[in-house]
Amino acid sequence: MPLSFCKVDVVYPIEKITGKDSMRTHLRNLGIVEGESIVIKNAIQKNLIVEIKGIRIALDATLAQRIMVGKEIQ
Amino acid sequence: MEIKAALTGNPNCGKTTLFNALTGSKQRVGNWPGVTVEKKEGTYKNDPSILIQDLPGIYSLSPYSLEEVVARSYLVQEHPDVILDVVDTSNLERNLYLTTQLLELDIPVVVGLNMMDIVEDKIDLKKLARWLNAPVVEVSALKKQGLESLMKQVKNESAKKEQKPFLFSRSIEDAIGSIQRLLPETKQTRWYALKVLENDSRILEELSLSKTDQQKITKLREAIENEFDDDIESILTAQRYDFIEKLIQDCVKRKRTKHAMSVSDRIDSIVTNRFLALPIFVLIMYGIYTIAMGSTPFSIGTIGTDWANDVLFGETIPGMMGSVIQYFHINPILASLLKDGIVAGVGATLGFVPQILVLFVFLSILEDCGYMARVAFIMDRLFRKFGLSGKSFIPLLVATGCGVPGIMASRTIEQDRDRKLTIMTTGFIPCGAKMPIIGLFAGAIFGNSSLVATSAFVIGIAAVVVSGIMLKKFKAFAGEPAPFVMELPAYHFPSLSNVLHSTWERGFSFIKRAGTLILLSSIVLWFLQSFGFVNGAFAFVDDNNNSLLALLGRSLAWIFYPLGWVGDMAWKATVATFTGLIAKEEVVNTFGVLYNFGGELSEAGNEIWTLVAADFSAITAYSFMLFNLLCAPCFAAMGAIKREMNNAKWTWISIGYMCVFAYSISLIVYQLGGLLLHEVPFNFFTVVALVLLVGILYLLFRKGYSEDKSNISVKDFSLNKVRS
Repeated sequence: MPLSFCKVDVVYPIEKITGKDSMRTHLRNLGIVEGESIVIKNAIQKNLIVEIKGIRIALDATLAQRIMVGKEIQ
Repeated sequence: MEIKAALTGNPNCGKTTLFNALTGSKQRVGNWPGVTVEKKEGTYKNDPSILIQDLPGIYSLSPYSLEEVVARSYLVQEHPDVILDVVDTSNLERNLYLTTQLLELDIPVVVGLNMMDIVEDKIDLKKLARWLNAPVVEVSALKKQGLESLMKQVKNESAKKEQKPFLFSRSIEDAIGSIQRLLPETKQTRWYALKVLENDSRILEELSLSKTDQQKITKLREAIENEFDDDIESILTAQRYDFIEKLIQDCVKRKRTKHAMSVSDRIDSIVTNRFLALPIFVLIMYGIYTIAMGSTPFSIGTIGTDWANDVLFGETIPGMMGSVIQYFHINPILASLLKDGIVAGVGATLGFVPQILVLFVFLSILEDCGYMARVAFIMDRLFRKFGLSGKSFIPLLVATGCGVPGIMASRTIEQDRDRKLTIMTTGFIPCGAKMPIIGLFAGAIFGNSSLVATSAFVIGIAAVVVSGIMLKKFKAFAGEPAPFVMELPAYHFPSLSNVLHSTWERGFSFIKRAGTLILLSSIVLWFLQSFGFVNGAFAFVDDNNNSLLALLGRSLAWIFYPLGWVGDMAWKATVATFTGLIAKEEVVNTFGVLYNFGGELSEAGNEIWTLVAADFSAITAYSFMLFNLLCAPCFAAMGAIKREMNNAKWTWISIGYMCVFAYSISLIVYQLGGLLLHEVPFNFFTVVALVLLVGILYLLFRKGYSEDKSNISVKDFSLNKVRS
């Protein structure tokens, strides 16, 4: 399911980042990679602040839709 | 022998602080060849043979933003003697990701572990050095600790050639080896081979490999992609992170519990709160402006400026000048040049410095503490509505202080057309130097109403919004702005030295301008308005209505006739507009000189208010103010536009657009506003105003250019164009 639909303050594993372009490479360079766990810290409408690898990253809605995550980790 | 050390690292890893600590005051700021990303260099203060070059903060060597392109081409082409890689220890994993890439270049790397003091984890430096095969030194940029041992390593390392760690799986390492053998002799590095394997278009272009070689490489790549069932970039990224994970397991003893609510999170939950974010931002900006430019007892900027204007340039210096003139019996014409020309002109600008400095201090603090990134995020949704992204907000915000750093701040915007649009509209924001213009008319015509200054800001922002919407519909700007993604650094207390450094850098250009451009223009202006033809003979004139300047102004005043600049004020307003191009604060200064006020003008020019009020009606004053707020910015800002656009055509388009836009808006406001107020009769230009208004509305609401859906791709980053 896309990250856009996830709950705040819950840990999810990233399964896939869709699309094939320089943006995906950039996301990876920032640390958003498959297998890593991600937490939504804050959402303003559909824009998100996420935590990954101990860093905060702000993402807009279009990018949040491209990050596919699996079932929440307890 | 000189050693060139390149300082690299992620954004916000403490690189600038370290650079300031290492070089002290021995810094030079310049631009990278060909592009305008700032380049700072300086020598190590304890050993001048080490030259340290501060590269832009980057996340990786696969270029995404302009700054990453610059940093990468510098490292690869200029080949510094050693790379000094600053690693933020509180964020080891992501910082080491860049380190793994730097290690692939054929340059010795020294790793500086910064901010060890704020991390509770235990890190085994020896083990880490073994994993990376590079020396690792613990430093604290803020407390200036470990700098000497770091630089000792830099000196030792510069002569060495290191064996690089092999961090990829067997089959990939084999492929890298095979590719290395295919490359031209000078480029047989691991890094080039990796980039070729990654299919990096810029590197492939540079290498121009033969067809058969290219086929061989494609085969190698496909074999790997099949083996791991993914595309090559994903495979390499994943393996890099795997390597780092193993390294961290071996070297770091984690103490921290994951995903705990940190102080930064708590601040963020308030300042990026859905409802509070905007009010908090407005409050912060209001506070900053009150302190810098307001008229309250704690408005230190205004207090400083008042002192400079009333005491320093109002009494002390003119008084001193007066006694010098008396003592030496200086020729009255020369005395007039000194007093009315130089002291009045330069003083008007320098008097403004306290307010500017206070504003710059606060803007530097906002940038340094990490709030600026949040502001970009908060504004993103709003800005997307008119075709800009949140990243365009930072340049606009900085431009409220001064347009030059504002325009320069546009370079963090990745997409070419977004950046161009931002550069074109940044100049509309009323900068600090436009404040005196507003002050003059608010005082002289509008009874000091604070609505005038407020309306100037609203108009500036409206001009940005309207321009964004109109221009976005043209083909050159069409398309969605790049998706917004930005790291939000942890909040930290701004370092005093960083704030002072950046305030000084920006403030100094203001002061320098007063000593050079303004000084020169004051002399020229004084000359032009003091001399003229009286009864056919060239002479010193008493009435500046007979001066050369008046002649010049009158010959150009027809341009502004449709804006309502008529009668006695026409030539003065015209001259002031042109001198405003030198620096916007010159507008008020020019009025001061032209309305024959001998002494120094206060910032808002109270002394000439009655004279100005006699010449301007409310609607002409507003038309004049509007034009001067929106038209081409000062030369310094035009220079910044030229540098950032890096293209003559786009520079002229920007400046032309601003002038045409300013002219149209002033014309519409004067003609239609005047008609409504029964001040201006219905005339030919009323029709022109109506046509212009309809034109703007059409441009706003027409269906814009839209690309064929199939052609849209985010790959459309035209960074190449900027480079060439």
